[in-house]
Amino acid sequence: MKVLLLILTMLLTLGAIDAIAPQLAVADPIPAQAVNKGRTTTKVVKRSPHSDKIESNGKGMALLFWAFAAATIGGALFVVTRRNLIAAVMGMVGCFLGISAVYMMLYASFLAVIQMLVYAGAIMVLFVFVVMILNRPEDEPVAPTGRAGKALGGLAIVYLVGRLIFMLMKVQPPNPLTAINAPAAVELPGDTVGTIERVDWGSVKAVGWDLFGPGLFVFEAISLLLLIAVVGAIAIARPLHEDQDNQSEPFHPPRDEAAEAAAAAAAAASSGGHA
Amino acid sequence: MSFNPADLGWLVPFLILAIVGMLLVLAEAFYKGTDRTALVGLTVAGSLASAIASIVLYRQLEPGQQIALMGEALIADRTGYVLSALFAVVTAMTALMSPAHQREHDWQMGEYYGVLLLSASGMVMLAHAGNLVTVFLGIETMSIGVYVMCAMRRRSRRGNEAAMKYFLIGAFATGFLMYGMALIYGAAGTTSLVKLQALLPQTQNPGLVVAGAFLLVVAFGFKVAAVPFHMWAPDAYEGAPTPVTAFMAAAVKAAAVAAMIRVFGIALGGEIIPYGTLGWASPMVVIAAITITLGNISAVRQDNIKRMLAYSSISHAGVLLVGICALGLGSKTANSGLVYYLIAYSFTTMGAFAVVSYVGSRGRERLLIDDWAGLGNQFPGAALAMTICLLSFGGVPPTGGFFGKFYVFKAAMEVYDGQLLWLVAIGVVNSAISIYYYLRIVTAMYFREANQPFAPNRSGGLLFVIVVCPLIVLELGLMPGWWLRLVG
Amino acid sequence: MSDILFNVGYGHFLVLAAVLFLIGTAGVMIRRNALIILMSVELMLNAANMTLLTFARMWGDLSGHTFALIVIAVAAAEAAVGLAIVVAVFRGRRNVDVDRLTTLRH
Repeated sequence: MKVLLLILTMLLTLGAIDAIAPQLAVADPIPAQAVNKGRTTTKVVKRSPHSDKIESNGKGMALLFWAFAAATIGGALFVVTRRNLIAAVMGMVGCFLGISAVYMMLYASFLAVIQMLVYAGAIMVLFVFVVMILNRPEDEPVAPTGRAGKALGGLAIVYLVGRLIFMLMKVQPPNPLTAINAPAAVELPGDTVGTIERVDWGSVKAVGWDLFGPGLFVFEAISLLLLIAVVGAIAIARPLHEDQDNQSEPFHPPRDEAAEAAAAAAAAASSGGHA
Repeated sequence: MSFNPADLGWLVPFLILAIVGMLLVLAEAFYKGTDRTALVGLTVAGSLASAIASIVLYRQLEPGQQIALMGEALIADRTGYVLSALFAVVTAMTALMSPAHQREHDWQMGEYYGVLLLSASGMVMLAHAGNLVTVFLGIETMSIGVYVMCAMRRRSRRGNEAAMKYFLIGAFATGFLMYGMALIYGAAGTTSLVKLQALLPQTQNPGLVVAGAFLLVVAFGFKVAAVPFHMWAPDAYEGAPTPVTAFMAAAVKAAAVAAMIRVFGIALGGEIIPYGTLGWASPMVVIAAITITLGNISAVRQDNIKRMLAYSSISHAGVLLVGICALGLGSKTANSGLVYYLIAYSFTTMGAFAVVSYVGSRGRERLLIDDWAGLGNQFPGAALAMTICLLSFGGVPPTGGFFGKFYVFKAAMEVYDGQLLWLVAIGVVNSAISIYYYLRIVTAMYFREANQPFAPNRSGGLLFVIVVCPLIVLELGLMPGWWLRLVG
Repeated sequence: MSDILFNVGYGHFLVLAAVLFLIGTAGVMIRRNALIILMSVELMLNAANMTLLTFARMWGDLSGHTFALIVIAVAAAEAAVGLAIVVAVFRGRRNVDVDRLTTLRH
């Protein structure tokens, strides 16, 4: 049964790709075409950066938004309501898939990919690792222990977020006339002096230009944070018997393999974060 | 291009901490043997070199001069260098205190020193932050380092539990911080603090500024342990190893306030944003008043010295918030007053916790006030040092603590129309209350008989901190004008 | 009604992020398992990231993307350290229920 479903899905996907492919070919940009414009030459990498729009009149985009928003919210609700930890982690992965698609709609293509790789890939794997290590049946009821302070705080937060939501719905874009257009291409200095290269807003190249320009300091400084995380995670989670001051003791407790695996996974995930 | 190699010259204090921190991590990996004196020496040398570099660079700057570095990611100014020198010195003192405690309580960890310096580099980032991204990264670098240091006493259940509580609350605060910053970013479309100050008053979406500033108040409230968000502090302070507690109470709190000086003083400062019922100053004033009062009232009931000092540091966080409010509401002397208070408070805290670490010995940490009975007879030096620090905490005249409170409250009185007068009154009344519970320790030390002899935790580094901190605190009280003019 | 349904604008993305933030906050406050609390914090950070990216798009300013990238890296580091602490606590007491962390409560 499962195999059948799988084959059916694959066929459908292939069919969909087949149906879209001709349009893709048409939408494909004309490769590198030089236009003389005074003294600066503009190397147009893509004719029109985005032929799609979030706020297009077509209802397809809106429906997609609602679908992914539902995935995001549903996954998040799954996380906070499940008793089973693995179910919660899977809800989280679903939530991240939805978020990643929403990022695509915000023209943040690079961040969407990073979201998938780092969050849904590395961080969630790390969570699964630890859940497996702890390997405990969940004995916790979802309901909080009745504490007036927490309830009061919760009510306050719900009220404030309600106010926030009404305010956010009415946010004014700085330039309402052009707000619904796809973002303009970013103009970057080209390979040779005096040329300008247009790249998609939110693409790897555009983000990289900002990251290694104004963001250079934080990009370099974050390596310190990752170093702390790697060293610290290993120092905390490594098995107790590896402490140097303990070597003289005659008795060695059984190897704590679970903790070793956790330390290794923690190190792997935080180095993945820098990818 | 925003990178200018000449900028690196202004970053030397930060670079020294970062590079020495990395060297320490590397050294630990290849270090054989259990004696880690060399690592301590390298840590102290690195942090002192950083402090000296800060002082040298400080002298290159005119008062009030601000230089944007690395595309406005950082700002070099006198306040920043004074604070980064303070953080470096406190780090050196923490490193001096640590080996004795590690030996006595059996948690030798070589990684500790590398993490300590890297965490301090996050603080220096905060002292110079010129950009919301730098503020965020600085806070995280500092906090994650401290979470790790808390958890390093691995055999202690209490240590692990403290680390877990501190971590969960800290991560929760990070969520608020980040969401608040995102909303502020949305109001003006820039992350640079200086540009935010110019752009925020003319935003089309003032609601975003109000909500963002409120979330930032909450997030920083967690970080400095202001009252509705303080529940983690006593547990974390009690469970963490004493040198780490000292570092948390002195340096982490001071660095969070340094970040607040930047965020609330520059980005959310100016003529419009802090004012009115919807400005950030109104929730912060309320939080400050509750923090000072509740911190003190809870401290009165504590029998455990570390918990009592934790509640006292909560109450001090309230005074610091008064200073931040005064800064936002346009008081001219608030900046120098705050910096003076931070210096006095940090050294007082280091001294007090150094004595706590000195008195506790293997198997008996002597954290209850009753355990301290008779210290004055057996170890008059330690008792005297503790007394000076406690008097400074309480704000008794010839100490730095008195002038710190005095300058902060004076700055608060300068606010237009005396809006903060009631807050100053609350602060002064609470100072009087606080003397009661500080004197409880003093009377226990001097006027009660010891129930068993003390076996203090002797070590050169620890003794050095115990001697130097009270001297600095007294010096701050005897020559307040010189220290005040540092950033005046 | 159809305007809200079919005319997806910045408000929609921002409200989605706010709801995500609310769910994350609620998760931290009502759940007692440290791992779930950690995941809820990740939800809060993701809500902040989505807000950042929406505003970056609104202002046509790429520094929001840089900020979001930094947040993702920080979240990864935080998760690594947090899970290490969870493992350390578990080693000592065989459960990670925050309400049972009472050694320090007086």
